Amino acid sequence: MKKIDIACIIDDDPIFVYGVKKLMKFANFCESFMIFNNGEEAINNLKPILESESSKDMPDIILLDLNMPIMDGWQFLDEFTKIDAHKQITIYIVSSSIDPQDKNKLKNYETVSKFIIKPITVELLENISKEIIT
Amino acid sequence: MANSQNLISPSEKDFYLDFIQKYASIGTWECDIVNGTLNWSEETKKIHDEPSNYKPVFETAIGYYKEGYSRNTIETLFANCVEKHESFDVELEIITAKGNNKWVRSIGKPIIENNQCVKVIGIFQDIDEKTKTTIELAKREQILTKTFDLSAVGMVTLTLKGQFIDANKSFCETFGYTKEEIQQLTFLDITHPADKTKGKQAIMDMIDGKVNYYQSEKRYIAKNGKTIWTYISSTVIRDNNGIPLHFVTQINDISQIKRSTKKIVDLLDTTENQNKRLLNFAHIVSHNLRSHFSNLNMLLDLAKIEIPETTDNEIFPLLKQAVDHLGETVDNLNEVASINTKKNIQLEPLGLLDTVNTITKSIAAQIIASKADISINIASHIKVMAIPAYLDSIVLNFLTNAIKYKKQNEVPKIDITAKIENNFIILQIRDYGLGIDLQKHGEKLFGMYKTFHKHEDSRGIGLFITKNQIEAIGGTVDVDSKVNEGTTFNIHLKHYEKN
Repeated sequence: MKKIDIACIIDDDPIFVYGVKKLMKFANFCESFMIFNNGEEAINNLKPILESESSKDMPDIILLDLNMPIMDGWQFLDEFTKIDAHKQITIYIVSSSIDPQDKNKLKNYETVSKFIIKPITVELLENISKEIIT
Repeated sequence: MANSQNLISPSEKDFYLDFIQKYASIGTWECDIVNGTLNWSEETKKIHDEPSNYKPVFETAIGYYKEGYSRNTIETLFANCVEKHESFDVELEIITAKGNNKWVRSIGKPIIENNQCVKVIGIFQDIDEKTKTTIELAKREQILTKTFDLSAVGMVTLTLKGQFIDANKSFCETFGYTKEEIQQLTFLDITHPADKTKGKQAIMDMIDGKVNYYQSEKRYIAKNGKTIWTYISSTVIRDNNGIPLHFVTQINDISQIKRSTKKIVDLLDTTENQNKRLLNFAHIVSHNLRSHFSNLNMLLDLAKIEIPETTDNEIFPLLKQAVDHLGETVDNLNEVASINTKKNIQLEPLGLLDTVNTITKSIAAQIIASKADISINIASHIKVMAIPAYLDSIVLNFLTNAIKYKKQNEVPKIDITAKIENNFIILQIRDYGLGIDLQKHGEKLFGMYKTFHKHEDSRGIGLFITKNQIEAIGGTVDVDSKVNEGTTFNIHLKHYEKN
């Protein structure tokens, strides 16, 4: 079975990052990770990679948290859509928010594929993996 | 010509006399002291309500005067007239032959011969109407004066230029001025600077007679500098020719009402703000709690996969259970917060019977397992205004509760009915189960996390959320219950009527 190459996780919660990395390994989700602690850090690092000609180092999937310091998930999305990327990247919002308003707000962002409510489980990762590869 | 006018014949004289007597209600009388006789003119008899052939008697005539003051007065005056030769002119009351009380003016003049009074002649005038009117006027005057002086409402009279003429006690107390002080001022002197031009046009219109009165809210300044909120009502007094004389103004001190209203408005603001903050708080708490819960849950899953040997004990399943309950609590908290923060709720007409049938079908397994006997009696045309998800949840919760809280070893029996009352539909869900002690639990019944039965899956959140949902769609719910007899929930929902 084909596997996701690089998964990018943007989340300020170290427990979540620790946990999700472990779960991804169990689920055999991807080859490698790219971790950022907030939106700004992510944008600063992703921008040069996305704008470069080679598709090497580009993540296949981004798991994006909404509530983060400095630059939150929404601000990240605003910046991200401005980047002229050379590759289609799937973005999943992964949040503990079950506020329907957040879900509604998401309709304004075409780049986002899905809204996932924490906690993340192995089964969930396996499902995502299937969706992306097919 | 001039002479001929003065020369009127005796018969003409009598004619004029009769004429005057009749139309002025003035009669004459003549009392012969020497012979002890009395003569009344036609009109005098009429005033006494006596017929024209009546012959007055000297000794008894005085008896027509009303006993007491009137009779005593006339006796004294008459005696003085005869003995001291003093004329009299007095207003007294008589009682007529028909028993009527009448005010009369009696004038008497002695006729003296050889220094002896031989006759008393007099005039007798009916002044009843005039006197009664005067008395009535005096009475009214007194009422008005008292009203003005003692009214709880401030009252003043003002010249057309606004100078104070008079002010009552209440006004003086409210404004802190004495009557003498206020008479040195005009109403503009004590008007609040911001209201100085208020009502100017109305005052002109009143003087011009375009309007009869003027009412308005207006601020004044008391002697101590305090602002006084008033409600004033002003009108113009005119003379007989309609020339405006002065203003009469009533000034109602509404400062207390104004202050109370402001307090209420402030309180409302505070409450609204606190409510907002509270909801915001609930939101933040539930959100932050949720992220901790999801981390805990994830770590437990990880532990199970990575270090299974640590999960094979008594504690781990309990820990897992505690974390699951935490998650449920947080979800419920979120649910409540979202019901209460929902704005612009769009209600739609929904068939009540359809909803109840759908819900019943959806829990068919539970109904079959419990062998519940459910009778549904709802007219198919009844529609309620609701949010579909809420109505489903409301019906589901009451129905599952009714099944859950059945009596032990008994099959649950449930009646579901609906009736129209005013603009509401009352959906009644009645069970014959355990019942609730409302004396003990009534107030807490719809509270959060209240359970009254030791049932395995009593969580106590259901009724709380359900009540919130009912209220969010403009309904209410009440309960009737007796221990061991059952429980009836009456859910009042907005009735949908086609216009």
